[in-house]
Amino acid sequence: MMSRVEAKKPSSCESEPLTSERVRVTLSVLKGVMTSCYGPAGRLKQLHNGRGGSVRTTSQSAALLTGLPVSHPVLKILVASVQNHVSCFSDCGLFTAILCCNLVENVQRIGLPPTTVIKLNKHLLSLCTSYLTSEACGCRIPVDFSCTQILLCLVRSILTSKPACMLTRKEIDHVSTLILRVFLLTIPENAKDRIILGKSVIIPLKGQRVTDSTVLPGILIEIPEVQLMKILPIKKSDSFKVALFCASLSGDLSDTGEGTLVVSYRVSLENAVLDQLLNLGRQLVSDHVDLVMCQKVIHPSLKQFLRTHGVTAIDRVGVALMEPLSKATGTQPIGSLASISPSSYGSVKDLGTAKFGSKRFFHLIPNEATVCSLLLCSRNDTAWDELKLTSQTALHALQLTIREPCVLLGGGCTETHMAAYIRHKTRSEPESILQDSACTQTELQLISEAFCGALESVAGSLEHDGGEMLTDGTYGHFWSVQADSSSVVNWPDLLSRCGCGLHSCRGELGWSFLRSPCPPFSPVTCLPPHEAAGAANNLTLDCFTAKLSGLQVAVETANLILDLSYVIEDKN
Amino acid sequence: MAAACSLKAALQVAKVLETIMSCCLGPEGRQVLCTKPTGEVLLSRDGGRLLKALHLEHPLARMMVACVSSHLRKTGDGAKTFIIFLCHLLRGLHAITDKEKDSFFSENIQTHGKHWKNCCQWKFISQALLTFQTQVLDYVVDHYLSRHFLSIFSSSTKERTLCRNSLEMLLEAYFCGRVGRNNHKFISQLTCDYFFKGMACESAFEEVFELVDDCFVELKVGVTGLPVSESRIVAGLVLHRDFSVYCPADGDVRIVIVTETLQPLFSTSGSEFILNSEAQFQTSQFWITERTKGIMKHLQSQDVKLLLSSVKQPDLVIYYAGLNGISVVECLSSEEVSLIQKIIGLAPFVLPQASSQHEVSSTALVEFCKPLILRSKRYVHLGLISTCSFVPHCIVLCGPVQGLVEQHSDALHGAFKMLRQLFKDLDLNYMTQASDQNCTSGPLIYKNSGESNQLPEIVNGSIQRPYQGTVVKNKDELAKSQTYLKVYSNLVVPNIELETHTPCSTLEVTPTDETLRCLSPNKAMIIDDHEPRIESNSANSATKNTGIDIYYENLQVTKIAGKGGMLPVRCMSLEMSTSLSYCFSSIPAGCVLPVGGSFEILLHYYLLNYAKNCQQSEEAMVSMIIANALLGIPQSLYKSKKGNYRFPQIYVRALSALQTNQPIISSQTGLESVAGKYQLLTSVLQCLTKILTLDLVISIKRQPREISDQDSEEEL
Repeated sequence: MMSRVEAKKPSSCESEPLTSERVRVTLSVLKGVMTSCYGPAGRLKQLHNGRGGSVRTTSQSAALLTGLPVSHPVLKILVASVQNHVSCFSDCGLFTAILCCNLVENVQRIGLPPTTVIKLNKHLLSLCTSYLTSEACGCRIPVDFSCTQILLCLVRSILTSKPACMLTRKEIDHVSTLILRVFLLTIPENAKDRIILGKSVIIPLKGQRVTDSTVLPGILIEIPEVQLMKILPIKKSDSFKVALFCASLSGDLSDTGEGTLVVSYRVSLENAVLDQLLNLGRQLVSDHVDLVMCQKVIHPSLKQFLRTHGVTAIDRVGVALMEPLSKATGTQPIGSLASISPSSYGSVKDLGTAKFGSKRFFHLIPNEATVCSLLLCSRNDTAWDELKLTSQTALHALQLTIREPCVLLGGGCTETHMAAYIRHKTRSEPESILQDSACTQTELQLISEAFCGALESVAGSLEHDGGEMLTDGTYGHFWSVQADSSSVVNWPDLLSRCGCGLHSCRGELGWSFLRSPCPPFSPVTCLPPHEAAGAANNLTLDCFTAKLSGLQVAVETANLILDLSYVIEDKN
Repeated sequence: MAAACSLKAALQVAKVLETIMSCCLGPEGRQVLCTKPTGEVLLSRDGGRLLKALHLEHPLARMMVACVSSHLRKTGDGAKTFIIFLCHLLRGLHAITDKEKDSFFSENIQTHGKHWKNCCQWKFISQALLTFQTQVLDYVVDHYLSRHFLSIFSSSTKERTLCRNSLEMLLEAYFCGRVGRNNHKFISQLTCDYFFKGMACESAFEEVFELVDDCFVELKVGVTGLPVSESRIVAGLVLHRDFSVYCPADGDVRIVIVTETLQPLFSTSGSEFILNSEAQFQTSQFWITERTKGIMKHLQSQDVKLLLSSVKQPDLVIYYAGLNGISVVECLSSEEVSLIQKIIGLAPFVLPQASSQHEVSSTALVEFCKPLILRSKRYVHLGLISTCSFVPHCIVLCGPVQGLVEQHSDALHGAFKMLRQLFKDLDLNYMTQASDQNCTSGPLIYKNSGESNQLPEIVNGSIQRPYQGTVVKNKDELAKSQTYLKVYSNLVVPNIELETHTPCSTLEVTPTDETLRCLSPNKAMIIDDHEPRIESNSANSATKNTGIDIYYENLQVTKIAGKGGMLPVRCMSLEMSTSLSYCFSSIPAGCVLPVGGSFEILLHYYLLNYAKNCQQSEEAMVSMIIANALLGIPQSLYKSKKGNYRFPQIYVRALSALQTNQPIISSQTGLESVAGKYQLLTSVLQCLTKILTLDLVISIKRQPREISDQDSEEEL
């Protein structure tokens, strides 16, 4: 024992970590990785460990950050906060990471004391959040649930921004309609004051064309072909009685207590238990149950017994399917082998078998439950993984939209618009901030420039092909121009629509290059209603809740990192 | 290997630690990032945690860390100040020993080598420190400092009730040193709200603090990935679990708590179950099922809707619970169960031995019981109806990273500990003992518990007193400040008289600080009007009498530096300054001073004054060193301030205010506990004595053999 006790090694202590070259370099590398993934034109990253194993091609923060090893504690903080954000909201992880890196970098360049910076950053953040949540916000569109157009745009934007899914335009349209349908199927029909959303199960079908993906109401349980042969032809009926077991039906003797159990010679407990199981089977038959499902294993004899009496038995359903199953069929999972209360049986409208690709499924069609299955097809494994993650993100974004029925303009327009708003606000009415934070006008100008610059850089990260980036002086939206057109004199001729697609190019908007000094202006805040309606078909949109929280988390994390004076690393 | 354990070495160590600690001290302090060996990252400004995280190797440094942690166990606050103060003390000592190598110590050490000589010297100093701590410090605190104390309680009523404004200021000052700059306002507001929501009645706050401190882990929920501003307080109790079965129920819900599985088992531990036939097995299984069913039915018939279990229940129990419309929460920790029991006063449900359907006695009602989803994780939310003084509330702490959430929850927990300390009376071992007096009578100890007045016994002795000068001085001070009432001998009657004076000197709670500042001079004048007459009558008689001075002091402190409705503390203390009596006085519960070095500057001032009038050079020197070292704390607090708020300016202003008896106006709003500061001071002095009494550090390969218990028993 004593030999294992070892003296602890002293920790290493590093002062002012942000000034060290090592941190700066690693931070900019991380930023480079994140920036290059951002947006529909983002570059893909391949994660592999060099010793075989699976290869993951991705451009999503969720997949990227779990695979990316970071060594320095400062980066760990950054990565952890982005990961936590992603696990809460699924979307806007890259946005958060890039904005945070930009803020740290920009503020470092100014060299003001961290106290002032942190205070001012907080003020600017609260300016942003109060603007985004206010009615007058010019980059927010309310969602009307009676019309699917905006929701479809939101899903399509999310799918488009993940190039590693390898989808064509047509496939994107197909998948986004499916995802929207899944979402709508999980909304209960007669919702009371509190909506409890149903469940959706994503089922993999690899090696199929993406356009073969489909949505089915109810639940699909995959069954090996051999077993499917044994399942009886299903008789026609308009309702089937279902029993769902959570207790094992394999005849094992569970918990017998802490004492000892002495079994006399020639007493066979197996037989005793089997008798009990067959009794149970008899009860099920006499209760006219049509389908028995078990989370665990069903004893072969019981299975045989049930089959001979015309009852379909499916075992090894697994714990993951239990909740959707009990929701879809309205059963209560049965934990008893002795007597079953009739109230714990449920029912389904129809039963069937289905074949998709090479896989066979048993299909339960519920009466009117909010459970559905999404069969997601893709050509290869890694694209399927990416597609699945993206679909989950999109579904989550839709669910978040129910809670907060609005969306933000995407394609960089929200960022540039917000930057313009903050620039204007800090120039025109800086008094309130100055009074509260006890700093000078110059300091405020410097920090607000750094903050706005960080926001605009995020928008600028969308462009990967060396094209020019512009903002207009009216709406403060983001416009980009193809790279190969540098010889052209008149920029506006090349612009058709802004990043989000809300505005089309007109002459009098007043252009300026992104990241070049421009006179602050008050961006037009009211949305043009006719244009919004007309362009609604192909808007690029972002999830409001996810982006707002991402913005807050990014600024808070940047403040945390800027506030660090020492890093103590435990070397044990 | 042996290394000389010199003051120099200790100073070097302390200096290194000081640079780290001073960067996160005070409102301007910054964060430190710690990594755990597991790779987790943690943000911290907590001195104790940082010192531990450093895993220091140097033996002296380890000793300092050990001293700090033992101090923290007591008070939960002040690790950073500890190190800074210690460093300044060492600096002071170093400077002095450098200057006058062997001027004031005895001659017989000259024969020894230089090193041993130094050690002897330090031993003398450490003894002087000890005498300082036991005699001078408490005396000064009790005599001079106490008049500046403010109280956290609103004294408008007889009962001790918390003043919300003062609590807010206290907490804000505390969190300034503990959490990030952007969040301290928010977190302290949250904590304050929590207290006032959690208190059933205003006067029972002590019980609430105790319970919250003990069960803090169960009362908070950490959520990562959300901005800090999403943190909030939820009414009721949140259990860190999901329902095993959830049956929605409206209205009040009846609950039971169980601590064992409800399903009977074949055998219990230590017993044997003999199966003789298959039929026997089947019937016993049948019986088990029927019995479980019966119990659940019985619970249902008693209208029980929720079952809280500290163990995992078998599938069978869950199934029947679901059938009977009973929700089940399993695997609660013993802490959670005991907290629930404490709040609703409910004993666990015991299975009836016979199947008789008697009433289930141990049930309770909760207002609601529903799932709570925080960041896609599900919790159980119970609206417990409290039977004690704590109204259950939970704090949901959000933050972008786990490290930040942990920092906030640690800070909150520390705040509860600090408050708990604040509401205890702290006894000063203020013993006036003449050092060269042979006649020692048995010590008489008087505990003065704030309210109760005990008549001190008087021990007569020769009028030998080294303190005479100071006592006289003391009287002068009192006469000047006009805040004392001295009444001789007849304690009861003046007491009543004094009570009649109190109404005129109690302040109304004033909402703004401006009016308050205007008021305080007026108030001082009011007291001036009233009290000189009594003063002159009683003081004369006191001074003429033979060496026994008994004062009954009722001092009304009227200095208010901060904003808000602060009310003066009524500090009652019995005091005897006869040379041979031992008397314990105390710092009453809830005493606070404004933050920003007020305690240190005040104590510095009074210690210097004391040293000036002190005849013994050792004592004077020690007092000087300590007084000067105390200034190190405000110095580092105001390090980054500019203009009028730099330390020298503040110091000069404070001194001139003290000399002219005017209230010190602090630039910062906020309060801190006096008892905490006092304990910190004594802990540092103890640590310093420890360091000084060491002469050699010997490093050994093996662990020092512990003296086994058997030996000591034999000796006994």
